[in-house]
Parts: sequence; C-alpha cells; structure tokens
Amino acid sequence: MELSGIWKRFPGVVANAGASLTVRTGSIHAVLGENGAGKSTLMNVLAGVYRPDEGVVSVEGIEHRFRAPADALTAGIGMVHQEFRLVPSFTVAENVVLGAASRILRRQAIEDEVAELAERFGLATQPDHPVWQLSMGERQRVEILKALWRDARILILDEPTAVLTPAEADELGVVLRKMADAGRSVIFISHKLHEVTGFCDEATVLRGGRTVAASLRVADTDAGELASLMVGSSPMTTERPPPHPVGDALLEVTGLCALGDRGLPALESVDLKVRAGEIVGIAGVAGNGQRELCQVIAGLRESTAGTVRLAGQDMTGVSPRRLFEAGLGYIPEDRLGVGLAPRLSVIDNSILRTYGEHRRGPFIVSDLAEAHCVDIVERFGVRTGPLDEPMAGLSGGNLQRLLVGRELSGRPRVVVAAQPTRGLDVQGVKAIQDLLVEAREAGAAVLLVSEDLDELLTLTDRLLVMHDGIVVGEFDPITAVRSDIGEAMIGYAAGVGT
Amino acid sequence: MNRPVLVRREQVLRGGQPRSFAIGLVVALTIGIVLLLGAGHDPIAVYERMFVAALGDPDSWSVTLNRAVPLGLAGLAVAIAGSMGLWNIGAEGQILAGAMMAAGVARIGEGWPGPVLVTAILVGGVVGGSLWALGPAVARSQIGVNEILTTLMLNEVALRLVQWLIHGPWKDPDSFNFPLAPMIPDHGRLPVLFGRAHVGVLIALVVIILFAIAVNRTAWGFELRVAGSSGATARYAGLSLERKTATVLVMAGGVAGLAGGIELAGTADRLTEGISNGFGYAGIIVAALALMRPSGVAAVALLFGAVQIGGQSIQTMGVSSSVSTILQALILFGAIGAGVLSRYQIRLIPGDPGGDEAKAEAS
Repeated sequence: MELSGIWKRFPGVVANAGASLTVRTGSIHAVLGENGAGKSTLMNVLAGVYRPDEGVVSVEGIEHRFRAPADALTAGIGMVHQEFRLVPSFTVAENVVLGAASRILRRQAIEDEVAELAERFGLATQPDHPVWQLSMGERQRVEILKALWRDARILILDEPTAVLTPAEADELGVVLRKMADAGRSVIFISHKLHEVTGFCDEATVLRGGRTVAASLRVADTDAGELASLMVGSSPMTTERPPPHPVGDALLEVTGLCALGDRGLPALESVDLKVRAGEIVGIAGVAGNGQRELCQVIAGLRESTAGTVRLAGQDMTGVSPRRLFEAGLGYIPEDRLGVGLAPRLSVIDNSILRTYGEHRRGPFIVSDLAEAHCVDIVERFGVRTGPLDEPMAGLSGGNLQRLLVGRELSGRPRVVVAAQPTRGLDVQGVKAIQDLLVEAREAGAAVLLVSEDLDELLTLTDRLLVMHDGIVVGEFDPITAVRSDIGEAMIGYAAGVGT
Repeated sequence: MNRPVLVRREQVLRGGQPRSFAIGLVVALTIGIVLLLGAGHDPIAVYERMFVAALGDPDSWSVTLNRAVPLGLAGLAVAIAGSMGLWNIGAEGQILAGAMMAAGVARIGEGWPGPVLVTAILVGGVVGGSLWALGPAVARSQIGVNEILTTLMLNEVALRLVQWLIHGPWKDPDSFNFPLAPMIPDHGRLPVLFGRAHVGVLIALVVIILFAIAVNRTAWGFELRVAGSSGATARYAGLSLERKTATVLVMAGGVAGLAGGIELAGTADRLTEGISNGFGYAGIIVAALALMRPSGVAAVALLFGAVQIGGQSIQTMGVSSSVSTILQALILFGAIGAGVLSRYQIRLIPGDPGGDEAKAEAS
C-alpha cells in the first residue's frame, strides 16, 4: 500500500503538503504526528472519505481514485474512525453486516458468523447485544469487526486508544498483532509514543502535513527520537513542580454516593480532601466513577448520599452557577459537548460563566464581554480567528486553552479538571499542565482526574486511585511504584474489599 | 476538464448576502422566463405585472406590507424557538387560536371605545396564541414530549375549532347560511397608515426588532443561544432549561397569536376558516431563510410577501395558479441558494469526469 505526494487543502489550511506513506503487508504501521500534523486527513484520503487535490493512492501496485469510502473498501481498505459510526439500537451482529448484507437477514446465521470472526481474531464480543449497552472499548471492537467482515486487508485505526483504558489498549495490541500475522496490514494512528514502541513494527512521522520520517523500524528507534521528530525539536516534558506549602482543605468530599447514567451505583461512599496549594490526582480505569465524581462536585449530577464542602461550606446539590460563584472552576471531560458552545462565537464562549457580570440592566455590554474575552485570549495564549465568529473553527488545543482560561481567569479556589490534556498535542498538553500548576501556586486546590499515569505522577502532590466507585488507595507520587498503582486500579490492592 | 464544486468559504461574506440574494433572484427569474415561454405567456409582461402589483406604487406596497406582517410574525414565532433549538411547527394553529380569542374579545367588547377595543383584540390574539402553545410548552419542558409533534397536531385542532365556531355558535345570522362569523365592529379595526397598510405593520416591525435585540444583546437571549447550541453546555453554565423552554414556546405562540389578532382586525375583519391561509407554515420557510435569526425575519418576510402578492396578481392575466406557484417557489429557491452561496462558493477545479475514474478503477 502506498500513498505518495498527497496534497489536500481546506479553506485556510493545507492539511497535507505532499505527504507520503508506504505500508508493508502483514505489519503494524504507526502514523505519528501532533494534532494538526495531517494524520487524520491523510487517512481519510486513503479511506476514500476525502479526495486528494494531488497525489497517488495505490494498493498492491494498482493505482486507485476513490470516490467514496465504499470504493476504498472494495480495494480492501477499512477505517475505524475516532467517532464510531454505529447504530445504537442495533445488535453487534446487525451493525457488523449493516449495509453489506444483500440477502435476507438470518439473525442466527449472522450472529454465528460474527462470533466466529471475532473468535478468530480474539475480539471478545457478544453478537446479540445491542450496541448502546456496550462500553467504548466494545464498540471499537464492533467497528473493527465491521472492517474485517468486509474483508479489509488494510485496516486504519484513527487514535484507537483514545477511548480505551490501558488494559483495553493492551488487548487491542494483541488483536492487531493477530491480524498482522494473518497477513493483513494495520495502520495505527496515535500520539502516544509508548504504544507505538510497544506494538508497532514501523512508524511514519508527519509534521506540518509532510512526511518527515518514512517507515522507520521501531526496533531501531526509541520514543525520544520519535518525539523529537514529531515536534521538530527536543521533546518538551513538564518537570515536576517544586513543592509548595499547603493550606486548609478547600474541597472536602465525605461519604459521597451517586448513580451513574444507567441508574446503577457509580460512587459508593467516596471521601477525599484537597487542600489549598496542592494538586490531588485521581487515577483509575475509565468507568470507575471518576466522571460521576467530577459531575457531582460540579453540580451536574445529583448525589444520593454524602456531602461536598467548598472552603468549609456545605455545597451539596448546589447549582453549577452558585458553585462557580463560590470559587469552583470545572474543566469537564467533554469539552465541545459540555464546556463550550461550538456554534456561538469565541466571545460568547468566553463569557459563558460570567455573562451576569457584563450586564447593564438586561443587556450584555459587548465592550465588557469583548474585553473579558481578549483578556482570556491574551493571558492564556489562545490562537483564534475573529472573536465574533463561531468558535468551532479553533483547533483542539486552542479550544481547551479557551475553556481552561475561562475557568481559571476568575482565580478559583478549587479547580476540578477532568481529562484536561486528553487528545492534545505535546505543546497543548504542556500549556494546560503549566496552567494547572500555576493555579496550584496561586493557592488553589486542584483535583486532577486523568488516564495518563505519567501526567499524574509528574503533577500531583498526592495520588488517589479509584476502583468501582470508591477510593481504594492513596500514593505519594514521588515514591510510588507504578505496578502498585496499576494493581490498585484494577482492584487487586491490599484492603480492597466490598 | 473542469468541474464545479462547492467549497466552504473561509469566512462568511460580510455584506455578501444581499449580493448573492440578487444573483439568486436573477437566476430564478431566468429559469422563470423559460417556464413562462413554455406556458405561452410573455415573460416580460408577467414580470412587470408581478412587480407592479407587489412594489409598483404606494398602494401595492401597502398590500405587500400587510401580507408581510403575518409572514414575519409567524417567521419570528419559529425563529425565537429556533434560537433555542426548539421547533415550533405550530404557528398556524397559534395564529388561528389568536384569531379566535381576538374574535371573542371583539364580540364581548362591542360597546367599548375604539382604542380600547383594538388593544383588547390584539392582546386577545397574544393570549390566544400563548394558550395554544402552553400545552406543548409544558409537555416539552416537564416531561420532554417532542414539541414538533405536539405543535403540529394542535394546528389541526385549531382549524377544527374555528370551523365549529363559524358553522355553529358564532355563525352570522345575516350570512345567508354561509359559514361566516359576523364582521367585527368598525371601531375595532386597525387604524390605516397609508393605502391599505394598517398599523399592524408598525406593530410587527417593533415586535421583530424587540425580539432581535432581546436575542442578540441581552443576557436572556444569550442564555437562549447557549441552550440552542447544547443543552449540556447550558446546564454547565448554570441555566435551568425547564422554565426557559416553556417560556420561549409560550412567547413564540404569543407572537403567532398576535398575527392572528392583526389579521382579524386588519385585513380579514371576521373570523374565517382561511384567516391564516398557511401563514404559519410559510413562517417556517421565512425563519429558515432568515437562518433562524429574528433579526433577519423582517427582510425575508417582505420578500416573501412581495412574491406572494405578485404571484397572485398574475393569475388575473390568465397565468394558471400552478405556474404562478412554481414561479413563487423558484424565486424563494433562488433566495435559499443565495443563503448557501454566502457561506460556500462555487469553484471550478480540474478533475476527471466520472467516466475516466470508473475506467481507472476497472483497470
């Protein structure tokens, strides 16, 4: 499979400027690059979603011009997108055959067929379960099955591990290896270096829409070299911030219980304390109550028992607005869906929390709103177009800077940050991490929920581990042993009981 | 070989909309020429007649303006809800409900002095429309019943109610058995501005401007727009959506109901089955063309009104109503195309026609 000299322009950006990629049969090939390096565009060209402005796509020596994803599929190229394209109310088997089954649907036969296929590649799944009941990892397996069922010989996975827990990611690595051994090729897009060095054979690095390193053998390189290729200079790493004196407990959670989205208990008596001037981290496999904990603290989910105290005051069940006014900055996990309003302008988004302060009578004074926005944009280094244009055009890193900037601009006493650096490029991650450290130094109590253990170990002063809705352990990030944390995350730690 | 593709503009053209409006109009009228020639009419004469009838002199302006009133208010009723991401498909029923309430007020207040009666009729319209939207508003905000279905279904109910009233209890004894309600008293009619244009034109304009300001400039409107962008974001920003959803739908109903009151006291003079005449449905198109922005509704309604009045007038010169309807649709299509063109541009790019690509694949 070969892509060469691919150009693709979008209004205002050149996403691919002569990028190329060669993938050998039976290998796992990583495509690396920062956000905006052109990885996704290149893959969409390969999968027939975009047509390149220039350049050649050839598979097994035959040149192709894909007009639609179906053409690419015919040529044996299947893609698993970042956002899954599944019908929630259909079963796994129905989703797998959707659009490709020309004969009468014989439910049992199809389920058996899908089960057999899943078995062959070690993809654990239940063909008769509706997709809405599945976890993100299971949904991803359905997407992979879809491509395999259509006999894709080249499988593209666009940042597949972004939605997976570390354990699921490892499992995925095993599945991909099986596929490669069976003579299929896998293209693996990621910016997590340890995954690339962990289970890929070769790597191609993109930067600024161009290929800067083609088909490096992973065995001959290391994470440091790949990282420096990605960013074009030595990799930036956030250093452990110097110790900082801590003050009174500003955030106190006691005996907190809450239900999850499906009405099952998600939090079962959580206790924690965050003091002024410290960052407390929460590690855990996704889906163990971290999300619900943040939501309850932020006033977006009802608790069933227990209390949340902010600077000593009971704030359980108080509205999000009053919590913000009381000094709670909340960086939600879902930036675009919860933290921002993509269709509104940059200005409107910057005043989402404080618009009440820019009022004169019933009116929002546009000068005040704009000044507030300019302040955030300048202080937090948000790169934007015109401020009165819809915000949706900003890149992921800048969206997050705007959101974090807005939450931190009022110097909150307590900051709750849920996955604040997920999916950002190296620079974006560093910028956000620096902001959290700054907030700590300014005396805020920061609660940081992350799936990136390195991030937690670097930034936090204390590290809590959640499993199954409770805090199962506390670690000192300086002396902690990774494997101990890992065991606590999966519930093996001593003293974990029910 | 070059082929045309739609390319998204880097920026929405500032002031590009009037220009693309004009282009869209020219394209539509050109297609219309072919249509009219095919139907055996002189296109120039037809267009002249349309223009004269709609915008030729103050008198025709006054008719067009009167027509733009219910279209604009219905459009506003859809657009207000639309700013919050709600679909009010029930403007038709809300207009009818407003007209019924207004007609009821006119019956009770026959003896009241003119200004009082006129005001009471219009207020009656607002109240009637609001009440008609109240059910869907409460159902949507309290238990999440889809407002599209409820508002739509209530249109039919309102129409049946009007029919029952004018066939039954409110039937005019002097109507020679025609299903007509009696005329409202003369002193209950809207004062005339010029020609046939009544004071409802000013009222509608003021209401539209007030709502445009409210949505774009006030904290209330900001909350509305946040809620329209994403419900989860609105909750995060600390808004309570239940009350807001209900208020906005009731307000939308009130605006449409006002149109019903104005139609009753301004042009129809009595409650009839056809008093709304599809304005409520046309309002959906008006709001869509105005991109759901209250600020754009007035201009779109004026264009829509002119097209309707012009289109009706040419039927008297023997153009069949279907040709006239097609012509009206063409012009509005032109305008929709124009809306698209202000956000996208047509570019010719070098590319292979489908045939070559098919060959390449086959090889």
